[in-house]
Amino acid sequence: MSRKKSRLELPEGYRADQAGQGIWVYLEHRDGEFASVSLELLGKGRKLADQAGVELSGLLLGDSVETLGESAISFGADEVCVIEDPRLAAFNLEAFSDLVCQAVQEGKPGVLLLGATHDGRDLAGRLAVRLQTGLNADCTELVLDPARGVLISEVTGFGGGIIALLECPDRRPQMSTVRPGVFPLPERNPARKGRVLRIATNITDEIFATTVLEKEERHTVDLTQADTLVCGGRGMDGDFDSLRELASVLGGDVGGTRPPVDDGYIERERQIGQTGVVCHPKVALCLGISGAFHFVVGIEQADLVIAVNSDPEAPIFEYADYGIVADVHDFIPALLGAFESYRERAHA
Amino acid sequence: MTEELKTFTLNDDLWQELLELTDGAAAPCFQCGVCTAICPWGDARPDGFSVRGILRAAQLGELGELESLWLCSGCLQCEASCPRGVEISGVIQSLRYLLWRRRSSLHNLPSVLWSCYWNNNPLGQPPSARMDWAVDLNLPDFDPSQHEWLFYVGCTASYDRRAQEVARAAVRVLRAAGVSFGVLGLDEPCCGESVLRLGHRPFFEDMARKALAIFDQREVKHLVALSPHCYDMFAHEYPQLGAEFDVQHITRFVADLLEQGRLHLHAGDPVRVTFHDPCLLGRGNGEYEAPRTILKNTPGLEFAPMQPEGEDGLCCGGGGGRMYLETPPGERFGDTRVRQAQASGASVLATACPLCIACLEDSMKVLGGEPMSVLDVVEIAARHLEPA
Amino acid sequence: MPDRHIVVCMKVTPKPEEIQVDPETMLIQREQARSEINPPDMNAIELGLQLKDQANGKLSIVSMGPPFFEPLLRVGLAMGADALYLLSDRSFAGADTLATTYVLAAAIQKLGDVDLVVCGEESSDGATGQVPAGLAEWLHWPLLSLAISATFEEENSLFVTRESHGRSLVRGPLPAVLSVKSAANQPRFMDYDLKPWAFDQAPMTIWGPDELGTDEARVGLQGSPTAVTGLREADVRDRRREMLQGSLEEIGSRLVEILDPYLRS
Repeated sequence: MSRKKSRLELPEGYRADQAGQGIWVYLEHRDGEFASVSLELLGKGRKLADQAGVELSGLLLGDSVETLGESAISFGADEVCVIEDPRLAAFNLEAFSDLVCQAVQEGKPGVLLLGATHDGRDLAGRLAVRLQTGLNADCTELVLDPARGVLISEVTGFGGGIIALLECPDRRPQMSTVRPGVFPLPERNPARKGRVLRIATNITDEIFATTVLEKEERHTVDLTQADTLVCGGRGMDGDFDSLRELASVLGGDVGGTRPPVDDGYIERERQIGQTGVVCHPKVALCLGISGAFHFVVGIEQADLVIAVNSDPEAPIFEYADYGIVADVHDFIPALLGAFESYRERAHA
Repeated sequence: MTEELKTFTLNDDLWQELLELTDGAAAPCFQCGVCTAICPWGDARPDGFSVRGILRAAQLGELGELESLWLCSGCLQCEASCPRGVEISGVIQSLRYLLWRRRSSLHNLPSVLWSCYWNNNPLGQPPSARMDWAVDLNLPDFDPSQHEWLFYVGCTASYDRRAQEVARAAVRVLRAAGVSFGVLGLDEPCCGESVLRLGHRPFFEDMARKALAIFDQREVKHLVALSPHCYDMFAHEYPQLGAEFDVQHITRFVADLLEQGRLHLHAGDPVRVTFHDPCLLGRGNGEYEAPRTILKNTPGLEFAPMQPEGEDGLCCGGGGGRMYLETPPGERFGDTRVRQAQASGASVLATACPLCIACLEDSMKVLGGEPMSVLDVVEIAARHLEPA
Repeated sequence: MPDRHIVVCMKVTPKPEEIQVDPETMLIQREQARSEINPPDMNAIELGLQLKDQANGKLSIVSMGPPFFEPLLRVGLAMGADALYLLSDRSFAGADTLATTYVLAAAIQKLGDVDLVVCGEESSDGATGQVPAGLAEWLHWPLLSLAISATFEEENSLFVTRESHGRSLVRGPLPAVLSVKSAANQPRFMDYDLKPWAFDQAPMTIWGPDELGTDEARVGLQGSPTAVTGLREADVRDRRREMLQGSLEEIGSRLVEILDPYLRS
């Protein structure tokens, strides 16, 4: 009996002996600024490139991104390959996958790094299959073995309980998406010299498979999708304005326990807990909350929990990574002040 | 002056469905309305709650207003007063299955059932953490050849940090009295009470059968339960599914220990105590005496009953699955109950149920007035054991 | 509305908190860990069922894994899925996402009439989040990721509400792949009227390399370009419970340091 073969097309990729040596970083940007993680990757990429004695290139797609390209040089890239077109002003997965793949097939880098952002993850996922190569996701460390030219990626799994080291010994490029915030932001050196190259690629309307019909930045209250949660309890004495300010500085959203909801300081849709919303944020800041079980079930899945309460015996401290015994009304201005100083220093 | 006659057409299929769901339990109701008059929702809600109306709808094969089915906290005041002995709370529970079947008005409740299915507890907690409360207690694994009693902890006391204190207090009391007991530990099955109260009887029966298989395999003959909710399941539902072990609530168990002279409580600081009867212990299982026995046998405690008490006591609002549903402020039974407790002049509000503790402490935090400690009678007993 | 065939890719995963690593063999010890349906896949099947209800469609569950997955996958049938396909063979084991998506894509291609594939955002074990995109690439279909809701519209379009740096409404052509944002919906509980059929009578189709026509060099460990060279348990899995000391100014600076990596994207 002849076995019917699956008709899945097997794309051509390339192997270690066919690859170039360069390290490439996919540069993600929004509203004229690089995503933080792309800068972090330029910083880390620069160190790896220096270690291996190879060049660091950035790959930048967009519309009118010349200035960004030059800025990437100042953050450590030797070369920035730019694909420009008005249709590339916003990210489009299928189109970007096509174009990045064209560039990679042309340049054949040894390593391709992307930020493990929503878009970066999707893009890397498509590319890895198209290029028939390995992809290590959400890496927390990258180490180069210069003797073998192999990149070793550290990843976590099983809810962060397991740490694994991964390699892609044979196929190229070696691809990794990197968790934002793991590597430090590099220093900017405006005097740095490099090349900004415009790459010619085949852009047709057909490669844009999906269309964005509507987009809103501030959406209806859905705390289940918030990455950063600032939660207030009875200890806030109704001062939710300062929590809203704090949430705004942190780029997050505000939630509360039952008492402030009852008193009308915030809406019922923002009540967190067993009878309200169960959230999965990266960060949960709990202010003036005692920590009753039926509240805690609403934030216990957070990656990081910080609790502030004037009562050192408050049960919330058992559920927190970091606890501060303080009056929330003194604490919040201090934290806001610390952020302001930090932002001032960063922009200097 | 003419009025238009309103007509109502019976849906035979629906009538049949409701008859099957309730097992005909609504039939004896003759619509006297005492249930509605006595239901605590009458005081708590501006529109009240027509219990009579729900029974009538069930009899006729009409659906009525489904959302209000979630209001019932299973306090059994209606059943205690019903001249026909209708199992009103049971009827409401059974009708809730309609909401599951129609997938309507379910709020966040599917996650409670999924938690029971995947995690063996309704609280979304990891099954492997069930024994964290006892990590330093060296509790023996139940062995039928060595242990007379299985101490059944239950999900709330295993995972809720406040209720864990009651579990630890219970262990101290049992050990002080030299009771031979063990625990099932990580193998302890959830009794399924949350699922039954939320109306999903079929899933409850699956859970109960699995639990029974474990009790059988471990040769459990005598079980003492911490929570009246679990106790109620083992006393009423499990025997109908074939359970043969006998069960006591911890208050009866400890009261017996006191009466048999196996446990001695020593004087502590003088304090005035009042007692809130958990609905499932009191009206549900006729147990009003045992917790009072414990309190009255604790030297130094002055017992000050609150009004109303015993069979007329007000529900804390946490039963009937309502721990998973939000109650608007001003409608919380717990708030009223705390005010009634404060009026007794006591400084300690004692009770005997982890859900009551959660509700009463919550209300206590929010209301002003005289602050009172909320304690389980077992915790009070544990504080009066012979100093080590 | 024409009938639609929706496929939901599901995975059975161990409870992450119960996983350990044998320090000597450096292998994951999975046997003692309880299993569950990968929680994000519960959100995927819920969205799949909503779409099935909308379009009078058919929903098939496809899963690559060993036979012990079966009783857990049948939960999906009890929720309302119509058919169950297990892609199982010893040679499929040890697959990274390239080899996994290859096998899943082969199955979807074999089914032939699929309009939409719905996946969870990521799995609780590997947590790569790469399967939806990789699968879309094998199939040459568009990917609409991080969906919180979707509707079939017009002849051959899907309107998807996505949640990524704000909310957007996106239109994609069918056939397509959808990934569902974790916790985006409330998965419906099992329908007990379906349960006897789901667990006792419903057939489960098992496909291996012969049925799928897969190339043996592309599946399982052999087909995986990535290799694990080291494995260990993380040091801290519990909350730190560290109390910060010092003046509020000092604490404020320390917190900014601690928060910084989490706030960057």
